[in-house]
Amino acid sequence: MDIIDTLRELITDIMDVEGETITEETYLVRDLGAESIDLLELSVSINHAFQITVKDDELYLRNFRLYIVEAERLGKEPVSYLAERFPFLATGRIAEILADLEVGPAIKIKDLVRYIVYRRED
Amino acid sequence: MKRHDDEKKGLILGGTCELALCLAPMLIAKEIVPVLTFRSEEGQRRIEEKLAPYAGHYETVRLDLNDTASIEAFFSRTSSSCDFLVDFAQSDYEAFIAGADESRIYSYFMENVAARAVFLKHVTRAMLGRRRGRLVYVSSSAAERPAPGQGFYSAAKLASEALYRNCGLEMAGKGITSVILRAGYVEAGRGRIFLETRPDAVKQVPIGRALKAGEVAETILFLLGPAAEGINATVLTMDGGLCAGKIGLLKA
Repeated sequence: MDIIDTLRELITDIMDVEGETITEETYLVRDLGAESIDLLELSVSINHAFQITVKDDELYLRNFRLYIVEAERLGKEPVSYLAERFPFLATGRIAEILADLEVGPAIKIKDLVRYIVYRRED
Repeated sequence: MKRHDDEKKGLILGGTCELALCLAPMLIAKEIVPVLTFRSEEGQRRIEEKLAPYAGHYETVRLDLNDTASIEAFFSRTSSSCDFLVDFAQSDYEAFIAGADESRIYSYFMENVAARAVFLKHVTRAMLGRRRGRLVYVSSSAAERPAPGQGFYSAAKLASEALYRNCGLEMAGKGITSVILRAGYVEAGRGRIFLETRPDAVKQVPIGRALKAGEVAETILFLLGPAAEGINATVLTMDGGLCAGKIGLLKA
């Protein structure tokens, strides 16, 4: 079973959503309506299912906006500054998130997949 | 006792105290395996001596809030998940605020508040994986009514109460609830020593006596049961009425 299939199972077990609607492009919060406690349970489940150490703040890009402000304050280019803090995300994806941020929480299933791959390699 | 994978286990933090050693046989009688924590070999021996008749029906594990490595080691064990937690752990530090040793202030709160928060994080995450869990924090009437010199003890208790209360608030939807039991004068441990030096203290208690360890343990047992699940994210006071009225004015 690949990562996305396992994630589907974990998410449907935690939230009241249909597994087949979940793709790599699905927004975790915007589309699936994940709440804080669901995210906590999901990180615990990811930790168990993939046997990786999960840092919730990293996984859910919690300080993303804070780092944007920090980059501005320090006069740094935001994409590369964010890439240093979220090394599991490609710079293209970071640029995508930056463009998408005003609409709402931008984290997608594919970001979770990337985090899991990154942690496994760690 | 039959030991199997789905047996009910309860973690007792501060497992060497008299109340914990009073509670353990009650849990064993209900076919629950208490896992008692100790901080030193002396503490482990104390558990083994007191629970000698129940050998094989309980477990012990070294866990010291003052030693973060012991917390990590405990939670790296696959058997670290438990159905409930009863937390008796609390070190003492009596000093006037104005006279306290500064390094001791930091270490005291590090051990009794910060490390407890880290410990609770691990416990609740383990419980979340099973979608069930009950947390009972044994606090003290000194949290609400400290004597002079008990400022640090009281502050740590109140902070710990807040941590437990929020666990119940945040995680009840996932099957994890909490309750705080504030015990008054108890004829056990530090309470007994205090009452021996200050026997008049019980005159302040409306019921006219200190609590027995068995009474407190029975109450904890009730709080661990299904009938008490609705008692969540709150503080219960069990002090014989000590904190209800004006001190020294019990008789009209």
